[in-house]
Amino acid sequence: MTFEAAAGQALSGISVGMVLFLIAAGLSIIFGTLKVLNLAHGSIYMVGGFLCYGFTSTFAHVPGIFWWTLIVAPIVVALIGGLIEIFLLRRIYAQDMLYQYILTFGLILIIGEICKFIWGVGYHTVNAPWPVNGKTFIWGLSFPVYNLFLIGCGIAIFLGILALMRYTGLGRTIRAVTFNREMANALGINVPRVYTGVFMFGCWLGGLAGTLMPPMSVVALGSDMAVIIECFIIVVIGGLGSLPGAFFGAIILGLVTAFGIYIIPKLAVAFAFMLMIVVLIIRPWGLMGKPE
Amino acid sequence: MKTKVVACLAVVVFLVFALGFQASAQDKKPIVIGFIHSMSGAMSMYGISSEAGAKIAVEEINAAGGILGRPLKMITRDDKLNPEVGLREAKDLLLSEKADFLTGTISSAVAMAVSNYAKREKKLFFISIAQSTAITEENFHRYVFRIDTNNVPYFGYGPALALAKTHKDKKIISLGFDYECGKNALAMFKEKYFELVPDAKVIDEMWAPLNTTDFTPYITKIANSGAEAFYLACIYGGGELAFTKQAYAFGLYDKMHALQACVGDVETFHKVRPGEPYPKGALTTCRYPFYALADPRNKAFVEKHNKMVGFYPSYGAMNEYLIRYAVKAAAEKVGAFDTEKIITALEGMSIDTFFGKVPIRAYDHQAMMPTWYGFVDFSKEYPFPHIPKPLGMLGEESYHTIDQIKKIRGGK
Repeated sequence: MTFEAAAGQALSGISVGMVLFLIAAGLSIIFGTLKVLNLAHGSIYMVGGFLCYGFTSTFAHVPGIFWWTLIVAPIVVALIGGLIEIFLLRRIYAQDMLYQYILTFGLILIIGEICKFIWGVGYHTVNAPWPVNGKTFIWGLSFPVYNLFLIGCGIAIFLGILALMRYTGLGRTIRAVTFNREMANALGINVPRVYTGVFMFGCWLGGLAGTLMPPMSVVALGSDMAVIIECFIIVVIGGLGSLPGAFFGAIILGLVTAFGIYIIPKLAVAFAFMLMIVVLIIRPWGLMGKPE
Repeated sequence: MKTKVVACLAVVVFLVFALGFQASAQDKKPIVIGFIHSMSGAMSMYGISSEAGAKIAVEEINAAGGILGRPLKMITRDDKLNPEVGLREAKDLLLSEKADFLTGTISSAVAMAVSNYAKREKKLFFISIAQSTAITEENFHRYVFRIDTNNVPYFGYGPALALAKTHKDKKIISLGFDYECGKNALAMFKEKYFELVPDAKVIDEMWAPLNTTDFTPYITKIANSGAEAFYLACIYGGGELAFTKQAYAFGLYDKMHALQACVGDVETFHKVRPGEPYPKGALTTCRYPFYALADPRNKAFVEKHNKMVGFYPSYGAMNEYLIRYAVKAAAEKVGAFDTEKIITALEGMSIDTFFGKVPIRAYDHQAMMPTWYGFVDFSKEYPFPHIPKPLGMLGEESYHTIDQIKKIRGGK
């Protein structure tokens, strides 16, 4: 393996990982605080993609429409998430975990059908926006600027959330609720409101990932299921509920996939699962999670 | 005596008149065509386009006096890409609507279901899009015809012949979707290509999970593999769009030869405009290069199709058009609209197309529909990427031979 090839696989692995981190971050944050494993998180991501296509194609004449969409679409997705939390999830927190799975699985089907109803079953594409279109050269390898932009977004979001959690009052409140719900409630924190807020924030992250994805890929039905499995692998590797876990889990998954494809392409699909199994055996709570 | 003769004559005259009248009424009874296609859902673009092609033929034939003096009547049904729905519609068309023959379907599963039913009912079924070779190879019967290409020229032999006639690359890397279609495509490609370019080899086979939308690590590997060309095995539709977008962004098309089947058909890249990512300079194939065919009938057909549905015709539209003319020619040859006689007439008959005569092989009822090949580019006349100058046309050499099919059918 030449240095150029290794660098190429490393960079593309990180690129794949960062895209998945953006999706998995929301999933992990929601689980960390609400203890809800939102199976429909992939659908939330897909809605972001469809909104990106919807806005950019409807207002194609507006200059810089993609950047406006990047602000608006995730907020719309967060509002949808808010409705889901208030009207559906809130009713089943006290119930068995199984009810969460049934409810969120039902949401996958419902959201999928709604997307199909509005945007049809065709494939849609969105062009990479200026100034992050085109390609650049890294170590002699031509690499799309947009992929570098996605890597940058992943790192920025990771550091941004870490700072938010550590240094702001809001972050302290969220950490308090996550740590001990009853105690936080007793201290006068409006726990249901924090729940709604965190769920909306998780959905905002999913929607952001969905909005960022179309310029490098396609918008189509089925993209929800295509990413959700990988997101589960990431949070299992990194530790459910741990944001740094999701970040490093995503990078590990991306690199394992990329080098797997390079070295033993016939088994590439299995590598991610093998990695997950190894982690489950050695550290069932994940690399950065905490044992119960 | 005289009155008796007169009465007899009157009766004879009346009978002749009555029977004659009845006979001419019989002649005027329309020939009913059951058209089954995906008119809604993911593949409806093909269904709508194919229906338009079929309607154009029906209108033209009716304006010219029908088939043997009988007008054509077409009934459209939506199979919803579902074999059960397709079968139900086929039953209704044959039993309630008394359809004389059936055409259609994009889904091979639907085509298989309808084909089995047509066999039972001894009615003709013409396939216009479905590509599964199994229908005309393992599961062949007397009542099924395919006026269309099949999987062999589409994903396997067609691209292999195209590469062997142009770049003759020795080191090839492949990327396919990890399922049956992908594996079959690569196996067929290798079978033909190694026969034509014996010292060539596939240096690596990569299989991406179905529904992959981020091909980045595959693309960097292809870029650094040292291969002269990459071949996409059964990556089509949304997957092909996503791959192309990413490969273009990585400059892969500038770095090595690309072999992508059927980019020359209008369906996948018709929304792509100059300046946007496309399979730049890729070697590709095409089943209906309407933009490159000089025959004035082709130009008229494209215009009529555009006027009817507002977009360019798919190969399905052309096939549906040709099917109706093939049936007309066969029925007129035997002088009656009789299913058995028409089948016999169609076997070995050549159908008149926009690109000369195309034979229908008697052994498997497969029309030897050609596949064109050439390089993908934009031209001034059309806004989407296509093959502005096809390099050539592949005919029977791009299909399984009769001996190969005999082997597949277990010597039968």
